[in-house]
Amino acid sequence: MDAISALMDGELEADEARRQLLKVKEDRTLRTRWDDYHLIGDAMRGETALSPQFGEILARRLAAEPTVLSPRRFPSHRNRLSTYAMSAAASLGAVAFVGGMALGPTGIAVSDSSKGPTGATARTNIAGTGMPPTPALPEANVPSDGRMNEYLLAHQGFSPSTALQGIGPYIRSVSTTGQITGR
Amino acid sequence: MRVSLPGTAAGLLVLVGAAGSACAADGASTGEAFAWLKKMAAASRQLNYSGTIVYQHRNHVETSRVVHFVNSAGGEFEKLETLDGPAREVVRSNDQVVCYLPNVKKVLIEERNRSARNFPALVPESVHGLSESYDMSTESADRIAGHDCQWVALTPRDQLRYGRRFCAETASGLPLRAQTINETGDAVESFAFTEITIGGPFNRDRVRSRYADASKKQKWRVERSGFSGPAATPADTGWVLTSRLPGFRKMMEGKRSIAGRETISQIVFSDGLAAVSVFIEPLQQHPAGQPLSHQGAVNIYTKAHGSNVVTVLGEAPAKTIMQIGDSLQLKPLTAAVQQ
Repeated sequence: MDAISALMDGELEADEARRQLLKVKEDRTLRTRWDDYHLIGDAMRGETALSPQFGEILARRLAAEPTVLSPRRFPSHRNRLSTYAMSAAASLGAVAFVGGMALGPTGIAVSDSSKGPTGATARTNIAGTGMPPTPALPEANVPSDGRMNEYLLAHQGFSPSTALQGIGPYIRSVSTTGQITGR
Repeated sequence: MRVSLPGTAAGLLVLVGAAGSACAADGASTGEAFAWLKKMAAASRQLNYSGTIVYQHRNHVETSRVVHFVNSAGGEFEKLETLDGPAREVVRSNDQVVCYLPNVKKVLIEERNRSARNFPALVPESVHGLSESYDMSTESADRIAGHDCQWVALTPRDQLRYGRRFCAETASGLPLRAQTINETGDAVESFAFTEITIGGPFNRDRVRSRYADASKKQKWRVERSGFSGPAATPADTGWVLTSRLPGFRKMMEGKRSIAGRETISQIVFSDGLAAVSVFIEPLQQHPAGQPLSHQGAVNIYTKAHGSNVVTVLGEAPAKTIMQIGDSLQLKPLTAAVQQ
Protein backbone atom coordinates (compact mmCIF):
# COMPACT_ATOMS: atom_id res chain seq x y z
CA MET A 1 0.00 0.00 0.00
CA ASP A 2 1.69 3.22 -1.04
CA ALA A 3 1.52 6.56 0.66
CA ILE A 4 -0.73 8.18 -1.94
CA SER A 5 -3.41 5.58 -1.61
CA ALA A 6 -3.12 5.74 2.18
CA LEU A 7 -3.43 9.51 1.98
CA MET A 8 -6.54 9.25 -0.18
CA ASP A 9 -8.11 6.77 2.18
CA GLY A 10 -7.44 9.06 5.13
CA GLU A 11 -5.21 6.50 6.77
CA LEU A 12 -2.27 8.79 7.53
CA GLU A 13 -1.65 10.74 10.70
CA ALA A 14 -2.08 14.51 10.32
CA ASP A 15 1.69 15.23 10.20
CA GLU A 16 2.41 12.46 7.73
CA ALA A 17 -0.58 13.53 5.60
CA ARG A 18 0.74 17.11 5.47
CA ARG A 19 4.17 15.86 4.42
CA GLN A 20 2.65 13.70 1.69
CA LEU A 21 0.49 16.52 0.41
CA LEU A 22 3.56 18.73 0.08
CA LYS A 23 5.33 15.99 -1.82
CA VAL A 24 2.36 15.55 -4.13
CA LYS A 25 2.39 19.27 -4.76
CA GLU A 26 6.03 19.21 -5.81
CA ASP A 27 6.42 15.86 -7.50
CA ARG A 28 4.81 15.57 -10.92
CA THR A 29 4.85 11.76 -10.89
CA LEU A 30 3.07 11.66 -7.56
CA ARG A 31 0.54 14.19 -8.79
CA THR A 32 -0.23 12.02 -11.82
CA ARG A 33 -0.68 9.04 -9.55
CA TRP A 34 -2.95 11.08 -7.28
CA ASP A 35 -5.06 12.02 -10.36
CA ASP A 36 -5.09 8.42 -11.58
CA TYR A 37 -6.22 7.05 -8.23
CA HIS A 38 -9.02 9.56 -8.03
CA LEU A 39 -10.03 8.72 -11.57
CA ILE A 40 -10.07 5.02 -10.75
CA GLY A 41 -12.09 5.71 -7.62
CA ASP A 42 -14.54 7.84 -9.61
CA ALA A 43 -14.80 5.19 -12.28
CA MET A 44 -15.47 2.48 -9.72
CA ARG A 45 -18.24 4.58 -8.24
CA GLY A 46 -19.51 5.36 -11.73
CA GLU A 47 -18.82 9.07 -11.31
CA THR A 48 -16.87 9.70 -14.47
CA ALA A 49 -17.75 13.28 -15.25
CA LEU A 50 -14.60 14.01 -17.21
CA SER A 51 -12.61 11.95 -19.62
CA PRO A 52 -9.35 10.46 -18.28
CA GLN A 53 -7.27 12.79 -20.44
CA PHE A 54 -9.30 15.85 -19.51
CA GLY A 55 -6.49 17.62 -17.68
CA GLU A 56 -4.02 16.84 -20.41
CA ILE A 57 -6.37 17.89 -23.21
CA LEU A 58 -7.31 21.08 -21.41
CA ALA A 59 -3.66 21.94 -20.86
CA ARG A 60 -2.91 21.28 -24.53
CA ARG A 61 -5.86 23.40 -25.62
CA LEU A 62 -4.78 26.23 -23.37
CA ALA A 63 -1.26 26.04 -24.75
CA ALA A 64 -2.60 26.11 -28.30
CA GLU A 65 -5.01 28.94 -27.50
CA PRO A 66 -3.91 31.84 -29.71
CA THR A 67 -3.72 35.49 -28.79
CA VAL A 68 -5.84 35.94 -31.86
CA LEU A 69 -7.01 39.48 -31.33
CA SER A 70 -3.56 40.99 -31.06
CA PRO A 71 -2.85 43.05 -34.20
CA ARG A 72 0.86 42.73 -33.57
CA ARG A 73 0.77 39.03 -34.19
CA PHE A 74 -1.31 39.37 -37.31
CA PRO A 75 0.03 42.45 -39.02
CA SER A 76 -1.18 41.63 -42.50
CA HIS A 77 -4.55 43.02 -43.51
CA ARG A 78 -5.69 39.68 -44.81
CA ASN A 79 -5.04 37.83 -41.62
CA ARG A 80 -6.84 40.45 -39.59
CA LEU A 81 -9.84 40.12 -41.82
CA SER A 82 -9.90 36.42 -41.30
CA THR A 83 -9.78 37.04 -37.57
CA TYR A 84 -12.88 39.21 -37.79
CA ALA A 85 -14.54 36.68 -40.03
CA MET A 86 -13.71 34.16 -37.41
CA SER A 87 -15.42 36.24 -34.75
CA ALA A 88 -18.47 36.44 -36.94
CA ALA A 89 -18.47 32.71 -37.18
CA ALA A 90 -17.78 32.45 -33.49
CA SER A 91 -20.91 30.53 -32.65
CA LEU A 92 -20.20 27.95 -35.31
CA GLY A 93 -16.60 27.76 -34.23
CA ALA A 94 -17.62 27.35 -30.63
CA VAL A 95 -19.97 24.55 -31.53
CA ALA A 96 -17.29 22.82 -33.48
CA PHE A 97 -14.85 23.34 -30.66
CA VAL A 98 -17.18 22.04 -27.97
CA GLY A 99 -18.60 19.25 -30.03
CA GLY A 100 -15.23 18.22 -31.28
CA MET A 101 -16.29 18.33 -34.86
CA ALA A 102 -13.92 16.42 -37.06
CA LEU A 103 -15.82 16.39 -40.28
CA GLY A 104 -14.67 14.63 -43.35
CA PRO A 105 -15.26 11.37 -45.10
CA THR A 106 -12.57 9.50 -43.23
CA GLY A 107 -13.05 10.98 -39.80
CA ILE A 108 -9.30 11.44 -39.61
CA ALA A 109 -8.41 15.06 -39.19
CA VAL A 110 -6.05 16.41 -41.81
CA SER A 111 -4.73 19.88 -41.31
CA ASP A 112 -2.12 20.43 -43.97
CA SER A 113 -3.90 23.63 -44.91
CA SER A 114 -2.98 25.23 -41.58
CA LYS A 115 -0.21 27.70 -42.17
CA GLY A 116 1.01 28.41 -38.71
CA PRO A 117 1.54 26.76 -35.40
CA THR A 118 -0.94 28.97 -33.56
CA GLY A 119 -4.55 28.01 -33.13
CA ALA A 120 -5.68 31.01 -35.20
CA THR A 121 -5.49 29.21 -38.49
CA ALA A 122 -6.82 26.12 -36.88
CA ARG A 123 -9.90 27.90 -35.65
CA THR A 124 -10.43 29.52 -39.01
CA ASN A 125 -10.38 26.02 -40.38
CA ILE A 126 -13.10 24.93 -38.01
CA ALA A 127 -15.29 27.77 -39.13
CA GLY A 128 -14.46 26.98 -42.71
CA THR A 129 -14.27 23.63 -44.35
CA GLY A 130 -11.22 22.19 -42.65
CA MET A 131 -10.93 20.22 -39.49
CA PRO A 132 -9.62 21.02 -36.04
CA PRO A 133 -6.16 19.62 -35.50
CA THR A 134 -6.79 19.32 -31.77
CA PRO A 135 -8.10 16.03 -30.40
CA ALA A 136 -11.87 16.02 -30.40
CA LEU A 137 -13.96 16.06 -27.26
CA PRO A 138 -16.34 13.21 -27.83
CA GLU A 139 -19.66 14.72 -26.73
CA ALA A 140 -21.77 17.79 -26.65
CA ASN A 141 -21.32 19.36 -23.26
CA VAL A 142 -24.57 21.27 -23.00
CA PRO A 143 -27.47 19.36 -21.50
CA SER A 144 -30.72 19.49 -23.43
CA ASP A 145 -33.04 22.12 -21.98
CA GLY A 146 -36.30 20.21 -22.41
CA ARG A 147 -37.17 21.97 -25.67
CA MET A 148 -36.12 18.85 -27.53
CA ASN A 149 -38.36 16.49 -25.59
CA GLU A 150 -41.00 16.27 -28.32
CA TYR A 151 -38.33 15.37 -30.87
CA LEU A 152 -36.82 12.85 -28.45
CA LEU A 153 -40.26 11.30 -28.06
CA ALA A 154 -40.73 11.19 -31.83
CA HIS A 155 -37.36 9.49 -32.22
CA GLN A 156 -37.45 7.04 -29.35
CA GLY A 157 -39.79 4.49 -30.89
CA PHE A 158 -37.51 4.06 -33.88
CA SER A 159 -34.43 3.15 -31.89
CA PRO A 160 -33.46 -0.52 -31.76
CA SER A 161 -32.20 0.13 -28.21
CA THR A 162 -35.78 0.79 -27.18
CA ALA A 163 -36.71 -2.68 -28.39
CA LEU A 164 -33.94 -4.08 -26.21
CA GLN A 165 -34.61 -2.00 -23.13
CA GLY A 166 -38.33 -1.41 -22.97
CA ILE A 167 -39.74 1.86 -21.67
CA GLY A 168 -36.68 2.89 -19.64
CA PRO A 169 -35.06 5.10 -22.32
CA TYR A 170 -38.33 7.07 -22.68
CA ILE A 171 -37.26 8.97 -19.58
CA ARG A 172 -35.09 11.02 -21.95
CA SER A 173 -38.22 12.47 -23.53
CA VAL A 174 -39.60 13.75 -20.21
CA SER A 175 -36.29 15.16 -19.10
CA THR A 176 -36.31 18.13 -16.79
CA THR A 177 -32.57 18.77 -16.88
CA GLY A 178 -32.28 22.55 -17.13
CA GLN A 179 -35.88 22.55 -18.16
CA ILE A 180 -37.62 25.31 -20.03
CA THR A 181 -41.20 24.22 -19.77
CA GLY A 182 -43.80 24.74 -22.42
CA ARG A 183 -43.16 25.81 -25.94
CA MET B 1 -0.58 19.30 -32.83
CA ARG B 2 0.13 18.65 -36.45
CA VAL B 3 2.98 16.27 -35.87
CA SER B 4 0.72 14.03 -33.79
CA LEU B 5 -1.65 13.43 -36.68
CA PRO B 6 0.22 10.72 -38.55
CA GLY B 7 0.46 8.99 -35.17
CA THR B 8 -3.30 9.19 -34.77
CA ALA B 9 -3.86 7.72 -38.20
CA ALA B 10 -1.39 4.92 -37.56
CA GLY B 11 -3.00 4.22 -34.21
CA LEU B 12 -6.37 3.99 -35.90
CA LEU B 13 -5.04 1.53 -38.43
CA VAL B 14 -3.60 -0.62 -35.68
CA LEU B 15 -6.97 -0.54 -33.91
CA VAL B 16 -8.83 -1.46 -37.07
CA GLY B 17 -6.39 -4.31 -37.70
CA ALA B 18 -6.81 -5.57 -34.17
CA ALA B 19 -10.59 -5.44 -34.47
CA GLY B 20 -10.41 -7.40 -37.70
CA SER B 21 -8.34 -10.23 -36.30
CA ALA B 22 -10.35 -10.34 -33.08
CA CYS B 23 -13.44 -10.74 -35.23
CA ALA B 24 -11.99 -13.71 -37.10
CA ALA B 25 -10.99 -15.42 -33.87
CA ASP B 26 -14.24 -14.84 -32.06
CA GLY B 27 -16.84 -16.06 -34.53
CA ALA B 28 -18.43 -18.28 -31.92
CA SER B 29 -18.60 -15.49 -29.39
CA THR B 30 -20.23 -13.20 -31.98
CA GLY B 31 -22.96 -15.75 -32.57
CA GLU B 32 -23.45 -16.18 -28.86
CA ALA B 33 -23.63 -12.43 -28.28
CA PHE B 34 -26.16 -12.03 -31.07
CA ALA B 35 -28.30 -14.81 -29.59
CA TRP B 36 -28.27 -12.88 -26.29
CA LEU B 37 -29.37 -9.70 -28.08
CA LYS B 38 -32.33 -11.48 -29.61
CA LYS B 39 -33.17 -13.01 -26.26
CA MET B 40 -33.05 -9.55 -24.65
CA ALA B 41 -35.37 -8.05 -27.26
CA ALA B 42 -37.84 -10.93 -26.89
CA ALA B 43 -37.77 -10.77 -23.07
CA SER B 44 -38.33 -7.00 -23.04
CA ARG B 45 -41.38 -7.49 -25.24
CA GLN B 46 -42.92 -10.65 -23.84
CA LEU B 47 -42.30 -10.74 -20.09
CA ASN B 48 -44.26 -9.27 -17.24
CA TYR B 49 -41.93 -7.40 -14.93
CA SER B 50 -41.82 -4.46 -12.56
CA GLY B 51 -38.95 -2.77 -10.82
CA THR B 52 -36.93 0.30 -9.99
CA ILE B 53 -34.56 1.58 -12.61
CA VAL B 54 -31.77 4.11 -12.19
CA TYR B 55 -30.94 6.31 -15.17
CA GLN B 56 -27.52 7.88 -15.00
CA HIS B 57 -25.82 10.27 -17.39
CA ARG B 58 -22.86 12.50 -16.68
CA ASN B 59 -23.47 13.59 -13.09
CA HIS B 60 -27.21 13.28 -13.34
CA VAL B 61 -29.09 10.43 -11.66
CA GLU B 62 -32.82 9.77 -11.87
CA THR B 63 -34.80 6.90 -10.41
CA SER B 64 -38.04 5.57 -11.88
CA ARG B 65 -40.54 2.80 -11.37
CA VAL B 66 -41.19 0.74 -14.48
CA VAL B 67 -43.87 -1.86 -15.11
CA HIS B 68 -44.31 -4.00 -18.22
CA PHE B 69 -47.30 -6.26 -18.81
CA VAL B 70 -48.50 -8.35 -21.71
CA ASN B 71 -52.16 -9.35 -21.84
CA SER B 72 -53.49 -12.68 -23.08
CA ALA B 73 -53.99 -11.23 -26.57
CA GLY B 74 -50.33 -10.26 -26.75
CA GLY B 75 -50.99 -6.56 -26.21
CA GLU B 76 -48.13 -4.69 -24.56
CA PHE B 77 -48.59 -2.16 -21.78
CA GLU B 78 -45.86 -0.39 -19.90
CA LYS B 79 -45.44 2.51 -17.58
CA LEU B 80 -42.55 4.59 -16.36
CA GLU B 81 -43.05 6.81 -13.35
CA THR B 82 -40.24 9.13 -12.22
CA LEU B 83 -39.46 9.11 -8.51
CA ASP B 84 -37.03 12.05 -8.46
CA GLY B 85 -37.73 15.65 -9.38
CA PRO B 86 -41.05 16.73 -10.86
CA ALA B 87 -43.54 13.87 -11.20
CA ARG B 88 -43.77 12.55 -14.75
CA GLU B 89 -45.27 9.43 -16.26
CA VAL B 90 -44.83 7.71 -19.59
CA VAL B 91 -47.42 5.11 -20.50
CA ARG B 92 -47.20 2.94 -23.58
CA SER B 93 -50.16 0.93 -24.81
CA ASN B 94 -49.13 -0.96 -27.93
CA ASP B 95 -48.57 1.74 -30.55
CA GLN B 96 -49.36 4.74 -28.43
CA VAL B 97 -46.99 6.47 -26.04
CA VAL B 98 -48.41 9.09 -23.70
CA CYS B 99 -46.30 11.37 -21.50
CA TYR B 100 -48.03 13.03 -18.56
CA LEU B 101 -46.35 16.19 -17.28
CA PRO B 102 -48.39 17.33 -14.27
CA ASN B 103 -46.09 20.24 -13.40
CA VAL B 104 -46.94 21.97 -16.67
CA LYS B 105 -50.37 20.31 -17.07
CA LYS B 106 -49.46 18.88 -20.41
CA VAL B 107 -49.96 15.56 -22.18
CA LEU B 108 -47.77 14.50 -25.09
CA ILE B 109 -49.15 11.74 -27.29
CA GLU B 110 -47.00 9.91 -29.80
CA GLU B 111 -48.94 7.65 -32.13
CA ARG B 112 -47.22 5.07 -34.27
CA ASN B 113 -48.86 3.76 -37.40
CA ARG B 114 -48.92 0.17 -38.55
CA SER B 115 -45.97 0.47 -40.87
CA ALA B 116 -43.91 1.99 -38.09
CA ARG B 117 -44.82 -0.90 -35.82
CA ASN B 118 -43.35 -3.34 -38.30
CA PHE B 119 -40.27 -1.24 -38.46
CA PRO B 120 -37.50 -3.75 -39.17
CA ALA B 121 -34.82 -2.11 -37.06
CA LEU B 122 -36.81 -2.60 -33.86
CA VAL B 123 -35.16 -5.94 -33.32
CA PRO B 124 -31.52 -6.42 -34.23
CA GLU B 125 -32.38 -8.25 -37.40
CA SER B 126 -29.14 -9.65 -38.66
CA VAL B 127 -25.86 -10.64 -37.15
CA HIS B 128 -24.22 -9.62 -40.38
CA GLY B 129 -25.55 -6.06 -40.36
CA LEU B 130 -24.54 -5.56 -36.74
CA SER B 131 -21.11 -7.14 -36.98
CA GLU B 132 -20.31 -4.78 -39.83
CA SER B 133 -20.28 -1.99 -37.25
CA TYR B 134 -19.63 -3.74 -33.94
CA ASP B 135 -17.42 -6.41 -32.53
CA MET B 136 -19.84 -8.50 -30.48
CA SER B 137 -18.79 -10.64 -27.56
CA THR B 138 -20.00 -12.17 -24.35
CA GLU B 139 -18.10 -11.21 -21.23
CA SER B 140 -18.23 -12.22 -17.58
CA ALA B 141 -21.21 -13.33 -15.57
CA ASP B 142 -22.43 -10.89 -12.94
CA ARG B 143 -25.20 -10.31 -10.44
CA ILE B 144 -27.50 -7.28 -10.58
CA ALA B 145 -30.46 -6.51 -8.32
CA GLY B 146 -30.19 -10.02 -6.89
CA HIS B 147 -30.35 -11.73 -10.27
CA ASP B 148 -27.61 -13.60 -12.11
CA CYS B 149 -26.82 -11.99 -15.44
CA GLN B 150 -24.50 -12.23 -18.41
CA TRP B 151 -22.57 -9.28 -19.83
CA VAL B 152 -22.78 -8.83 -23.57
CA ALA B 153 -20.60 -6.18 -25.22
CA LEU B 154 -20.83 -4.44 -28.57
CA THR B 155 -17.60 -2.62 -29.30
CA PRO B 156 -17.75 -0.20 -32.22
CA ARG B 157 -15.38 -0.76 -35.13
CA ASP B 158 -15.07 2.97 -35.74
CA GLN B 159 -15.70 6.26 -33.95
CA LEU B 160 -19.03 6.91 -35.63
CA ARG B 161 -20.92 5.06 -32.91
CA TYR B 162 -20.89 4.38 -29.22
CA GLY B 163 -20.17 1.03 -27.62
CA ARG B 164 -22.91 -0.78 -25.72
CA ARG B 165 -22.81 -3.22 -22.83
CA PHE B 166 -25.79 -5.13 -21.51
CA CYS B 167 -26.12 -7.47 -18.57
CA ALA B 168 -28.95 -9.83 -19.44
CA GLU B 169 -30.70 -11.87 -16.75
CA THR B 170 -29.37 -15.39 -17.23
CA ALA B 171 -32.69 -17.22 -17.20
CA SER B 172 -35.00 -14.81 -19.06
CA GLY B 173 -32.61 -12.60 -21.02
CA LEU B 174 -34.14 -9.41 -19.64
CA PRO B 175 -31.48 -6.66 -19.67
CA LEU B 176 -30.89 -5.61 -16.07
CA ARG B 177 -28.23 -3.10 -16.90
CA ALA B 178 -27.39 -1.23 -20.10
CA GLN B 179 -24.45 1.09 -20.65
CA THR B 180 -23.46 3.34 -23.50
CA ILE B 181 -19.70 3.76 -23.75
CA ASN B 182 -17.85 6.56 -25.52
CA GLU B 183 -14.51 6.40 -27.32
CA THR B 184 -12.52 7.01 -24.15
CA GLY B 185 -14.23 4.10 -22.44
CA ASP B 186 -16.49 6.16 -20.18
CA ALA B 187 -20.17 5.39 -19.72
CA VAL B 188 -22.09 8.36 -21.13
CA GLU B 189 -25.34 6.80 -20.01
CA SER B 190 -26.47 3.85 -17.98
CA PHE B 191 -29.76 2.23 -17.07
CA ALA B 192 -29.77 -0.25 -14.19
CA PHE B 193 -32.43 -2.06 -12.25
CA THR B 194 -31.84 -1.84 -8.53
CA GLU B 195 -34.79 -4.06 -7.79
CA ILE B 196 -36.93 -6.14 -10.14
CA THR B 197 -39.70 -8.73 -10.04
CA ILE B 198 -39.97 -10.87 -13.14
CA GLY B 199 -43.29 -12.59 -13.79
CA GLY B 200 -46.66 -12.04 -12.11
CA PRO B 201 -50.16 -11.71 -13.55
CA PHE B 202 -51.34 -8.99 -15.95
CA ASN B 203 -52.73 -6.01 -14.09
CA ARG B 204 -54.15 -3.21 -16.23
CA ASP B 205 -54.38 -0.79 -13.31
CA ARG B 206 -50.65 -0.85 -12.77
CA VAL B 207 -49.96 0.32 -16.30
CA ARG B 208 -52.54 3.13 -16.22
CA SER B 209 -51.47 6.68 -15.47
CA ARG B 210 -52.61 8.16 -12.20
CA TYR B 211 -53.13 11.38 -14.16
CA ALA B 212 -55.35 9.79 -16.82
CA ASP B 213 -58.57 11.15 -15.31
CA ALA B 214 -57.26 14.42 -13.88
CA SER B 215 -55.67 15.38 -17.20
CA LYS B 216 -59.04 15.03 -18.94
CA LYS B 217 -61.12 16.72 -16.23
CA GLN B 218 -58.74 19.62 -15.83
CA LYS B 219 -58.27 19.86 -19.59
CA TRP B 220 -54.49 19.66 -19.66
CA ARG B 221 -52.97 20.79 -22.92
CA VAL B 222 -52.71 17.81 -25.27
CA GLU B 223 -50.01 17.80 -27.92
CA ARG B 224 -50.36 15.10 -30.55
CA SER B 225 -47.56 13.71 -32.64
CA GLY B 226 -47.45 10.94 -35.13
CA PHE B 227 -47.97 9.73 -38.64
CA SER B 228 -51.76 9.94 -38.60
CA GLY B 229 -52.30 13.61 -39.45
CA PRO B 230 -53.73 14.77 -42.78
CA ALA B 231 -50.27 15.53 -44.21
CA ALA B 232 -48.70 12.31 -42.97
CA THR B 233 -47.18 10.17 -45.66
CA PRO B 234 -44.65 7.38 -45.46
CA ALA B 235 -42.85 8.78 -48.44
CA ASP B 236 -39.98 10.57 -50.03
CA THR B 237 -39.35 13.82 -48.16
CA GLY B 238 -37.13 15.28 -50.86
CA TRP B 239 -34.11 15.36 -48.54
CA VAL B 240 -30.98 13.30 -48.94
CA LEU B 241 -27.58 12.89 -47.35
CA THR B 242 -24.78 13.90 -49.66
CA SER B 243 -22.23 11.70 -47.93
CA ARG B 244 -22.74 8.12 -46.84
CA LEU B 245 -22.07 7.15 -43.25
CA PRO B 246 -20.51 3.67 -43.02
CA GLY B 247 -22.83 1.16 -41.36
CA PHE B 248 -25.86 3.47 -41.21
CA ARG B 249 -28.78 2.67 -43.47
CA LYS B 250 -31.99 4.60 -44.03
CA MET B 251 -34.73 2.79 -42.13
CA MET B 252 -37.69 5.11 -42.48
CA GLU B 253 -38.67 8.30 -44.21
CA GLY B 254 -41.93 10.18 -44.02
CA LYS B 255 -43.95 13.26 -43.22
CA ARG B 256 -45.44 13.49 -39.76
CA SER B 257 -46.77 15.83 -37.12
CA ILE B 258 -45.08 16.84 -33.90
CA ALA B 259 -47.09 18.52 -31.14
CA GLY B 260 -49.77 19.42 -33.66
CA ARG B 261 -47.34 20.99 -36.11
CA GLU B 262 -47.87 19.29 -39.47
CA THR B 263 -45.53 18.54 -42.36
CA ILE B 264 -42.40 17.77 -40.45
CA SER B 265 -40.16 15.36 -42.30
CA GLN B 266 -38.45 12.57 -40.40
CA ILE B 267 -35.74 10.31 -41.76
CA VAL B 268 -34.31 7.57 -39.56
CA PHE B 269 -30.88 6.04 -40.06
CA SER B 270 -29.70 3.02 -38.09
CA ASP B 271 -26.73 0.70 -37.89
CA GLY B 272 -28.91 -2.00 -36.36
CA LEU B 273 -28.36 -0.82 -32.78
CA ALA B 274 -28.11 2.96 -32.68
CA ALA B 275 -30.60 5.13 -34.52
CA VAL B 276 -30.36 8.73 -35.66
CA SER B 277 -33.44 10.75 -36.61
CA VAL B 278 -33.34 13.77 -38.87
CA PHE B 279 -36.26 16.17 -38.51
CA ILE B 280 -36.84 18.92 -41.04
CA GLU B 281 -39.40 21.49 -40.05
CA PRO B 282 -40.45 24.70 -41.83
CA LEU B 283 -38.77 27.54 -39.99
CA GLN B 284 -41.13 29.49 -37.71
CA GLN B 285 -38.34 31.37 -36.06
CA HIS B 286 -34.63 30.97 -35.93
CA PRO B 287 -33.65 28.00 -33.77
CA ALA B 288 -33.07 29.24 -30.24
CA GLY B 289 -30.77 27.71 -27.67
CA GLN B 290 -27.61 25.73 -28.16
CA PRO B 291 -26.95 24.20 -31.59
CA LEU B 292 -25.43 21.17 -29.93
CA SER B 293 -26.79 19.57 -26.78
CA HIS B 294 -27.29 16.14 -25.30
CA GLN B 295 -29.77 14.09 -23.34
CA GLY B 296 -27.84 11.19 -21.91
CA ALA B 297 -26.42 9.19 -24.80
CA VAL B 298 -28.54 11.13 -27.26
CA ASN B 299 -26.72 14.01 -28.92
CA ILE B 300 -28.82 16.74 -30.51
CA TYR B 301 -27.79 19.12 -33.29
CA THR B 302 -29.97 21.94 -34.56
CA LYS B 303 -29.30 24.22 -37.49
CA ALA B 304 -31.14 26.39 -39.96
CA HIS B 305 -31.18 25.17 -43.54
CA GLY B 306 -32.71 27.68 -45.90
CA SER B 307 -36.28 28.15 -44.76
CA ASN B 308 -36.17 25.05 -42.56
CA VAL B 309 -34.82 24.10 -39.21
CA VAL B 310 -33.00 20.80 -39.18
CA THR B 311 -32.77 18.81 -35.94
CA VAL B 312 -30.63 15.70 -35.88
CA LEU B 313 -30.59 13.49 -32.81
CA GLY B 314 -29.70 9.99 -31.84
CA GLU B 315 -27.67 7.78 -29.55
CA ALA B 316 -24.43 8.40 -31.43
CA PRO B 317 -21.40 10.65 -30.86
CA ALA B 318 -21.87 14.37 -31.53
CA LYS B 319 -19.48 14.10 -34.47
CA THR B 320 -21.74 11.59 -36.21
CA ILE B 321 -24.86 13.64 -35.51
CA MET B 322 -23.26 16.79 -36.91
CA GLN B 323 -21.89 14.97 -39.93
CA ILE B 324 -25.41 13.81 -40.78
CA GLY B 325 -26.89 17.27 -40.21
CA ASP B 326 -24.26 18.97 -42.32
CA SER B 327 -24.55 16.59 -45.26
CA LEU B 328 -28.33 16.95 -45.52
CA GLN B 329 -29.49 18.53 -48.76
CA LEU B 330 -32.66 18.95 -50.75
CA LYS B 331 -32.64 16.81 -53.86
CA PRO B 332 -32.01 19.21 -56.77
CA LEU B 333 -35.24 18.37 -58.63
CA THR B 334 -37.41 18.74 -55.55
CA ALA B 335 -35.68 21.98 -54.71
CA ALA B 336 -36.57 23.36 -58.11
CA VAL B 337 -40.18 22.28 -57.71
CA GLN B 338 -40.48 23.89 -54.29
CA GLN B 339 -39.16 27.24 -55.48
